Amino acid sequence: MKQPDLVRFCRYLRANGFSAGVTESLAAADVVGVVEPGDPGAVRWALRAALSSSKEEWDSFDRLFDAFWNAQRAEPNGRRKPALTEPRGFWTLTGEPGGEVRPTNREAATIAGASDYARLKKVDFSEVSQSDQPALDQLAQRLLKQMSWRLSRRRKPAGSRGVVDVRRTIRGNISRGGEPLKLRYKDRQRQQARIVILLDISGSMSLYSMFLLKFAHALHRHFRRAETFVFSTRLVRIGPMLRSHNLAEAMRVLTACPADWSGGTRIGGSLSEFNARHARLLSRDTVLVILSDGWDTGKPELLAAELRSIKSRVRKVIWLNPLLGLPDYQPLTRGMAAALPHVDVFAPAHSLESLLELERHLG
Amino acid sequence: MGRHWAIRFAALWEGRTNPEDVGTIDAVIRGFEASGYVLDQPLATALFLLLRLGKPLLIEGHAGVGKTEVAKALAAFLDVELIRLQCYEGLDVNTAVYEWNYQKQLLAIQIREKTDEEEIFSPRFLLERPLLRAIRAESVSPVLLIDEIDRADEAFEAFLLELLSDFQITIPELGTIRARYRPHVILTSNRTRELSDALKRRCLYHWIDYPDFDKELEIVQLRARGAPRELSAQVVGFVQQVRSLDLSKPPGVAETLDCVHSLEALGRTRLDAEAAAATLGCIAKSVEDSAKIQAEGIDRILSRAAR
Repeated sequence: MKQPDLVRFCRYLRANGFSAGVTESLAAADVVGVVEPGDPGAVRWALRAALSSSKEEWDSFDRLFDAFWNAQRAEPNGRRKPALTEPRGFWTLTGEPGGEVRPTNREAATIAGASDYARLKKVDFSEVSQSDQPALDQLAQRLLKQMSWRLSRRRKPAGSRGVVDVRRTIRGNISRGGEPLKLRYKDRQRQQARIVILLDISGSMSLYSMFLLKFAHALHRHFRRAETFVFSTRLVRIGPMLRSHNLAEAMRVLTACPADWSGGTRIGGSLSEFNARHARLLSRDTVLVILSDGWDTGKPELLAAELRSIKSRVRKVIWLNPLLGLPDYQPLTRGMAAALPHVDVFAPAHSLESLLELERHLG
Repeated sequence: MGRHWAIRFAALWEGRTNPEDVGTIDAVIRGFEASGYVLDQPLATALFLLLRLGKPLLIEGHAGVGKTEVAKALAAFLDVELIRLQCYEGLDVNTAVYEWNYQKQLLAIQIREKTDEEEIFSPRFLLERPLLRAIRAESVSPVLLIDEIDRADEAFEAFLLELLSDFQITIPELGTIRARYRPHVILTSNRTRELSDALKRRCLYHWIDYPDFDKELEIVQLRARGAPRELSAQVVGFVQQVRSLDLSKPPGVAETLDCVHSLEALGRTRLDAEAAAATLGCIAKSVEDSAKIQAEGIDRILSRAAR
């Protein structure tokens, strides 16, 4: 296997969504150096071990490997552009995808400018134009990822006294003959909050639910302690599904899933089902997020009672309502009015910007 | 060069497999077979690269597919010590790397009234935890298993990244300890959260899926030698069908083995609906899952498995 071919292969993978960067390109050269060159299986598996770094990449590797090397065999010398346009030396291992391997659609997708980003962040999900959709998805992925990273790293400074730090106590008291006269304390690290999301997928929410689902998916990628349910007339747990699939696959699985997409809504009934079967997910460090417009066809008393019982057990109840983005919306529906007394945070969820606001309440 | 030959000679003398001598991927497969682990070509290739290039290997896969077993088998194959660090939420440097022996320090201070710091913070008072132990290996590279890294916090992950790039640990009171024999590192993850790109970039990657029927049967035959082949085959077929039911905790290979052992203990020689119901607890690990299997009908699952 020739070095330039290998370099082109790494670029090809990168153009197809692999995160393979400098380190992996160098690693590829290393692994090919130690396996039997005559053993095509070993070369393939060695490159797969070195170049993929997630199940998704692992799964698509074989297909890409075959596609690339078959094309390579068909046109062994396949360098159409003059070598001059290619970066030189070390960077040939890592340079931008170019040459004869074309970037895929994903790579070539709309690149939006900064002013565009500001506009996209504010646009209402129900009014996103077809042409804006890919750019918005991309932006959302990036911002949500950043948000979840920030959240997962944040720690509250220890206000109260934590555990005694024996090591620093001993060190500080050596001069007193080891008598622990003055105690030193360790900051107690606060555990990351557990997030439980209840997403309304009934008919009235249909313009928003797909996007909110993407939001839930992004949170799942980075919050170990996240759990998501969708509901309309009944409740379906989708957390494990969101966690184990990439977004496109998760969407496909979800549409096949036996929840009533775009049916009627029984918010109170769904909450009571949640309380009956999944109440153990709730604790003092849980933040419960309800994403719903509050159109409930059930009894408002039931909704109020179930929500009160939830609120007594969690740290915070957050209700995000897409309709709050409308300038003249008043939470007057019977369900919404019954729920409000038991909600800590009532905020809009109609645009990317409003979703990112959630960070303030989760920290 | 001199040290290199010394290692090789020592390994030869003690009848150990020297990583440098693992010439081919086939040699790895044969070696693992001897210690009761069925290795397929791709995983053998990854382990071969781990030994030859000294890179850590990140293994992901569902619970119960034998990720941890790989590390155990590798240690058995090389005939070296297996050092295991089980990760959990809140795991910190004191538990993973080192800790001072406070009681001993306090006693020493009190006995001698006047003591200088240097003496109190000497190796005599140091408690080694897994990572430090792996770094301080004296004669041969151990296998270091960092189990379920996805359960540890990001902060610990960052620390680990540093360790895996330099193989050295700094203890403020003692100075920097550098590994003389770099451990062979295997990390496992159940994918409960995304690992950082930097860590993934440093590692080779391998995904272990549930084994297919033939391979699982082979594993069961190796690990439950007493069980009749027919019984093992029936259980494997049953479990494979159950896995396709979309349970919240699908049974792994460990569950298959549990089930076979239980049936043996009950004196059964074949798996019928009644025996399957009696040992359902080995396979379904929650009320919901158990209900789901029963709703599907054990009879029906068994007949599908027989086909």
